[in-house]
Amino acid sequence: MRAFKKTATRLIIRMTLAAFTVLALGPVIWAVVTSLLPLTALTSRPPDLNPLNMTLENYRLVFDSSRGLFSGLINSFIIAFFTSAVGLVIGSTAAYALARLNLPGSNKILMMILATQMFPGIVIAIPLFLVMSRIGLIDTHFALIVVYLSFILPIVIWILKGFFESVPLELERAAAVDGATPFQTFRYIVLPISLPPLFATGVFAFIEAWNEFFFAIILTRIHVKTASIAIAEFSGQYQTLYGQMLASAVLASIPVVALAIIFRKFILEGFVEGAVKA
Amino acid sequence: MQTTNEYNRKRFKLGLWFTAPALIVLLTVLAYPIVASFVLSFQRIRFAGQGLTHQFNGFNNYIELLKNQTFREALLRSIYFTLTEVITVLLLALIVALLLNHPLGRHAFFRVVLLVPWALAPVANAVLWKWIYNANYGILNYILISLGLVKENVIWLGKPWLALNMILLADVWKAVPFIALLLLAGLQNVPNYLYRAARLDGANTWQQFVYVTLPGIKTTLVISTVLQSIWALKVFDLIYVLTKGSPADSTVLLNYLSWRETFSNLDIGYGAAIANVLFVMMFMLSLVYIRALRPRQTATLKGTQAKEG
Repeated sequence: MRAFKKTATRLIIRMTLAAFTVLALGPVIWAVVTSLLPLTALTSRPPDLNPLNMTLENYRLVFDSSRGLFSGLINSFIIAFFTSAVGLVIGSTAAYALARLNLPGSNKILMMILATQMFPGIVIAIPLFLVMSRIGLIDTHFALIVVYLSFILPIVIWILKGFFESVPLELERAAAVDGATPFQTFRYIVLPISLPPLFATGVFAFIEAWNEFFFAIILTRIHVKTASIAIAEFSGQYQTLYGQMLASAVLASIPVVALAIIFRKFILEGFVEGAVKA
Repeated sequence: MQTTNEYNRKRFKLGLWFTAPALIVLLTVLAYPIVASFVLSFQRIRFAGQGLTHQFNGFNNYIELLKNQTFREALLRSIYFTLTEVITVLLLALIVALLLNHPLGRHAFFRVVLLVPWALAPVANAVLWKWIYNANYGILNYILISLGLVKENVIWLGKPWLALNMILLADVWKAVPFIALLLLAGLQNVPNYLYRAARLDGANTWQQFVYVTLPGIKTTLVISTVLQSIWALKVFDLIYVLTKGSPADSTVLLNYLSWRETFSNLDIGYGAAIANVLFVMMFMLSLVYIRALRPRQTATLKGTQAKEG
């Protein structure tokens, strides 16, 4: 009886796991399949899923320059790359200072930085839009990079602060005894052993900046439209080109999904636990 | 050899240099606009030629808000949306986290499964659901008709109440993975000996869950609830792509309304007033978050001080 109950439990758990996998991946797989099918196959009932019909035609068509997807992907890349690079440089130094340099009030500063994560974007978007219109920063990469730093920096600082705190104090003491200045200690002792978390935090920041939509739609016009905007506009204008709509969505998601899978170990261990343990 | 005093002074100086750039960016991009948004909400702003004219307007924007039915409805809708989303997401995420914490679910594959919807670009997610919900060719109608659950194609995004809940569903799907990851991390931090002790005391699986698991992940649950409420209040991309607020403004939530009033209707002061209402709601939630984090914060702080001393 006991053995039977155990088998039954295991069966239920396996079935729930299967259901979970189907629900989580199903929509994504459906997006990929759709993007590979011609319109006629998608609009027939039942949908014609014959793999022989599969084609890359949708992908070829979405790269038509009038769609702005190609320039959108480039803009998204530039913005996400510089946001994460600048975020890492000024975020890692700030994190180190707040974790290890005994600054007065560093705990209060950290809490305030965390609280900034709770603001609705719209509150800062309206004044920023007005100021940036006045000084001609609307529709520039610079504007978006600076605004994205406002939500990237707090994440970078909090993740790296946790890491720097785990670096053994003895290491830094030994360097100080040997006559290293605090900067040299940071540059030659702490930084080299921090490269893996630094890089992984950068990846995380890249994903967040790449995916952003709200500020992008407010602060861009024509020249720096990001991939997300290109897709949103495309899905509004060409409502019925389902295959192409999904092809552009898949294209914009491949880089970030790939990064998330490649760096899953860090995201799972570092970031998520950091958020819980603080 | 350097003296301790000299070293500490250098350390302090470096600390200032190291924190200044990040703090300057945060102050310019966050602190200034927050104050400005507050000021704007008391102004009447008009377009005059090339520029704008600002005129003090007292509490008129806020009074107008309270009188305005669109705002009141959007507020109630936002509250409904947030409450339902938080409850659904937390329940589903808890189930997923427990499942993935079970020996059968520990395989790395399931964690990758979880990361995919999370990493997906939100706009791509919105486009995907727009296609799934498509009334004529959408897979949802096809599946439901094949199973005999509905008789004819349902226009998912065409009816007020239904459209709102379909947006909710798409948002839940996207939100569950991250909260599940948070809860999973929380579950893994519950010490194993507590379960062993509970079993020795004769606790069954349900009792272990209620008396060991739930108290063990209490902080994580609070943090997840607050974060998810904040994210639910901010929902924008899905509305923008799926309905633009239609039908009959039935999917207009506060964040979307504020954006529309400001950037579409160009009523900047009024839009700022709505934004500030949202801000106050989120600020109160963030106080809960900070309180939930604080005890551990001081505990670890004392720990490091003890080590140093």
